[in-house]
Amino acid sequence: MTHGATSEPASSPPLGKPQPDAPPPPAPGKPVGRVLLGRLADVHSLSLIGVLAVLAIIGAITKPDAFLSTDNLQLILTQASVIGVVTVGVTFVIIGGGIDLSVGAIVALASVWCTTVATQDYGMAGMIFTALIVGLGCGLVNGVLIAYGPMVPFVATLAMLASARGLALQITEGRTQVVSVDAVLDLGGRDAYIFGIPPLVLIFAGVTAIGWVLLNRTTFGRRTVAIGGNPEAARLAGIAVKRQRLMIYALSGLCCGIAAFMLVVLSGSGQNTNGNLYELNAIAAAIIGGTLLSGGRGTIIGSVLGVLVFTTITNLFTLNNLDSAGQQIAQGAIIVAAVLLQRRSAAQQP
Amino acid sequence: MSASSARRFASRRGLLFGGAAASAGVLLAGCTSNDTGDDEEDSQQAPAAEESEGPPVTIGFAGPQADHGWLNAINENARSRAETYADVTLEITEGSNDTATQIGQIETLINSEVDVLVILPADGIALTQIGLTAMRAGIPVINLDRIFDSPQAYRCWIGGDNYGMGLNAGHFIGEQLRDVQNARVVELSGPDNLELTGQRTQGFDDALANYPNIEKVARQAAEFTVESGQEVMSGLLQAQSEFDALWNHDDDQGVGALRAIDQAGRDEFIMVGGAGARSAMDAIQADNSVLKATVLYPPTMAASAIDLARALGQAKGIGGLAEFEIPSSVTLYSAVVTKENVEQYLPTGFN
Amino acid sequence: MESAQTPLLTLTGITKSFPGVRALDGVDLDVAPGEVHCLLGQNGAGKSTLIKVISGAQPPDTGELAWQGETVAIGSPTAAMRLGIATIYQELDLVEHLSVAENVHLGHEASSAGFIRRGAARAATAALLSRLGHPEISPDRIVSTLSAAGRQVVSMARALSHEARLIIMDEPSAVLDPDEVGNLFRIVRDLTSEGVAIVYISHRLEEIREIGDRVTVLKDGRAVARGLPAGTTETREIVALMTGRDIEYAFPERPAPQARESGATPVLAVEGLSRRGEFAPLDLQIQAGEIVGLAGLVGSGRSEVLETIYGARRPDTGRVLVEGRPLRPGNVTAAVRAGLGLAPEERKGQGLFLLDSVTRNVSISSLPRFSRGGWIDRAGERGAAAQFTRELSLRPADPDVQIRTLSGGNQQKAVLARWLLRHCKVLLLDEPTRGVDVGARAELYTLIRRLADDGVAVLLVSSEIPEVLGLADRVLVLREGQVVHTAPARELDEHRVLDLVMEGSQA
Repeated sequence: MTHGATSEPASSPPLGKPQPDAPPPPAPGKPVGRVLLGRLADVHSLSLIGVLAVLAIIGAITKPDAFLSTDNLQLILTQASVIGVVTVGVTFVIIGGGIDLSVGAIVALASVWCTTVATQDYGMAGMIFTALIVGLGCGLVNGVLIAYGPMVPFVATLAMLASARGLALQITEGRTQVVSVDAVLDLGGRDAYIFGIPPLVLIFAGVTAIGWVLLNRTTFGRRTVAIGGNPEAARLAGIAVKRQRLMIYALSGLCCGIAAFMLVVLSGSGQNTNGNLYELNAIAAAIIGGTLLSGGRGTIIGSVLGVLVFTTITNLFTLNNLDSAGQQIAQGAIIVAAVLLQRRSAAQQP
Repeated sequence: MSASSARRFASRRGLLFGGAAASAGVLLAGCTSNDTGDDEEDSQQAPAAEESEGPPVTIGFAGPQADHGWLNAINENARSRAETYADVTLEITEGSNDTATQIGQIETLINSEVDVLVILPADGIALTQIGLTAMRAGIPVINLDRIFDSPQAYRCWIGGDNYGMGLNAGHFIGEQLRDVQNARVVELSGPDNLELTGQRTQGFDDALANYPNIEKVARQAAEFTVESGQEVMSGLLQAQSEFDALWNHDDDQGVGALRAIDQAGRDEFIMVGGAGARSAMDAIQADNSVLKATVLYPPTMAASAIDLARALGQAKGIGGLAEFEIPSSVTLYSAVVTKENVEQYLPTGFN
Repeated sequence: MESAQTPLLTLTGITKSFPGVRALDGVDLDVAPGEVHCLLGQNGAGKSTLIKVISGAQPPDTGELAWQGETVAIGSPTAAMRLGIATIYQELDLVEHLSVAENVHLGHEASSAGFIRRGAARAATAALLSRLGHPEISPDRIVSTLSAAGRQVVSMARALSHEARLIIMDEPSAVLDPDEVGNLFRIVRDLTSEGVAIVYISHRLEEIREIGDRVTVLKDGRAVARGLPAGTTETREIVALMTGRDIEYAFPERPAPQARESGATPVLAVEGLSRRGEFAPLDLQIQAGEIVGLAGLVGSGRSEVLETIYGARRPDTGRVLVEGRPLRPGNVTAAVRAGLGLAPEERKGQGLFLLDSVTRNVSISSLPRFSRGGWIDRAGERGAAAQFTRELSLRPADPDVQIRTLSGGNQQKAVLARWLLRHCKVLLLDEPTRGVDVGARAELYTLIRRLADDGVAVLLVSSEIPEVLGLADRVLVLREGQVVHTAPARELDEHRVLDLVMEGSQA
């Protein structure tokens, strides 16, 4: 029985019944321009686009012919694609109020598992399948431990970090597993470009688009934001919080699996050292992209811009033949600046 | 990648034991899973150090975690070398990168009264004290590669020559580019936080200084991993639209570097590798890529360390030298492997 | 306590506002040395905020504090401690895994050259514990192994170790057995005889009569009576002060009790539901269209009852049925699916997603209705949410604004809209008008009655007795986890319920 189906007093119509003379929902009381801006990019994404613009100007001045070339732009996007896919998954985890320290280790494990001699016998399809299943499996283990253990995400994913790295080392015995499947190798080559876009970049774009839709247009995304923003309120609103947590970590694991295969394509090999420090880079990118570390707020676009900022910095340093120490300092400075900006803009909101 | 498959010895004209100085003790270090059924050859090529069987020696071996192809090859070399001696018992510890763990493992070996210790420390300085302890306990220590802080902590040090690697790579490139005007050279180094990276770069720069026509136009650091090699090399290729030679410090990261070069479709330069991985030697032999040479940092030093340990344990000198005692320090030569001599080194290449 | 002497602490015109609520509205208070000054007031009257102002946890917006006649600013808890003000909170703030001595000296450890002088700390702690009449507690005991009473003694030792001149005790007897309360009173008397002043907060009037010197009554953020003699003031007078209101709320007219068909399945049936240490087995039935009120003080178990029915707490015994079908115990998702909805007591902490828009807060429990294959029909969602927010006259009308910018009353309307949208059959309301201004209250009352008229079964918890009486058809009085009285609302009046609610304080 739904309420409203009972006898209706004449004076006050039951709540929730559409009223014939009801005016349409009020239009938002904001100028169209502001709404559009607000939809396309929040303050954060805008400021990151500004940072990217500044970096591009620096690049164009210091290395005018090299930086703005098509080749270089393709390169920046390609190098951003692997960590970018990982960051999309991590963004969901952080928005959902958690943390995933195991992403780098899962990438390593999935990349070596899908490049063993036995797996390579099954060709590219077998390698893709293996990478995705290993990633998803590790994510599910994380999710079960965190949601049903229950364990603190920090601890559970730290344990996964150690175990997955250990298993990756055991599989490879420290050796580099070179890929001999031509289809996989070709995917990383110039001939595989589609309208000038490397396939890895297309995968990155696809994952980003799906991530954006998932976060902004689906119940999954809505519930992720809810349990990150206020887990108790989410529970009391009737959301199956545990199942949601499980799915979030599984999603992160799956992203790692995708990224692992992309890394195999990129480097033509699987190695247990793959994915080194991905966890920190992904978290850093999400944070400078405006994702609250405490959960409940964040955007996919922001995270992806964060990845692009870091990748562009690396590119600029390499082009100008500067040493890696300065690069690390620059990255640290950008994280601090982004977070300070985040606080400032949060304070300015009504 | 079966490491336990049959191993055989190729010609064994080692530096220590007479023969050409250019080739270290050579043995096939694992990973040749196709390579079975060479038993006859094995028996023909018994160890040459001291042919006769001597009193039994127990050697304790402690190394770091084999999380890199080269370190894995170190372990394999030590193990298989020991297996070839009927009079040697090898007690090998689980490798660890943690200083405290490794100290504990070495203490255990000391307490079990091994005759000789072979130690490749996770950190040379941090493990000096345990080396001293072992020496005081009357157990001679063979210090492998990463050197202890004090000469009192080891009886004999044997290791590679990082400066020499750079020097030989530089000279090889210099000779190759002798006739090129305004030659441009690029260096893809290892991690800058390692001292050995600085030594390799110094050697390389010193060698290049002999060739006024050559300028080193870029140097970027990778992390000894395939992933970092690919990433950094892609950027370098973008930054340097044309150059003549590349020296890459490490063949593992070289896999990634070659991948990046392939992806960028570049081939106008020659590339020289470092360390001596099997994949690099295969590429040199096939001669179908920019990789034309690699300078060795041979993991066979572990096999030689076992030889030294055995000699120490049996109170013998080593063949081919006039001395009664084994030297206190042995620095290996970083040979340049090219298409011409790669056949000889191929068995030492590690995966 | 006749004070020709300078008061120890004087508060003048203290105000403190939080978004949507004026918690303190010009409070005056003076505390003399050596007295037990009792603070009384209903929930939400401003007691907790006042304690926080005195103990430096929250600065007042306006007003003046004077310590021994001199104006001071108490900017932090540390500053308060330095003056000699110590607070023993309801949830004792001890570090569980440290020893008694370490807790007592936490933050002001006796040390030389950075090393804690453990011997000295132990000896000093032992002396304090003896002074408090508990020499049997070892300074080395780990706090987590102590009973509630033992921990309270440790908290007091900590206060004394700061040489506190004023100790604030927030419902100290709530966690104690009767004989432990006796010991507490002995300690309080010892302290006051040494000139220490105590600000004592309790709901139990008989305790106040026994230990208190003077009483200040807070209501709606104001001190409605100051310095009444604790021993001689009539209970009725105090109750009247606590409840008497400036504005009579307009409650919607209650429909004539309907002759319900016997044998009709109640919408909500609770059978023998209990949780150890919280509430005794409870039976309850609510018919469609009925509002049942649950009256009781904080700690009487009323919120616990609500949350257990809702599945947010797992019951020890008993079960809950909705329209005759039993619910899976301890599972909120199942309860919501069966048609239950809860407006929780802590609206911000338990009810709202503060960073999200009104629309998203309203639709969160009904997402499957607006989605196909997980894809949300955002126009449909927004339209439906907007329909309810409009009917409930939510202000501002823009459903895209962040909910944290709304006033308390409008936030509560949004929570109700969430359950309206869900077409819930049973609505559990926990303090629905806390922190809500007068105008919005009337709207909420009308709304709740209209919901019932539409066939929703409502269970209402409130510590505001007039609210329960004015709104509910039937009232259950809960005291210390037991239902002590059940009656139709029209047969009860405020004083009667207060007497029932306050243990042993019959007139």
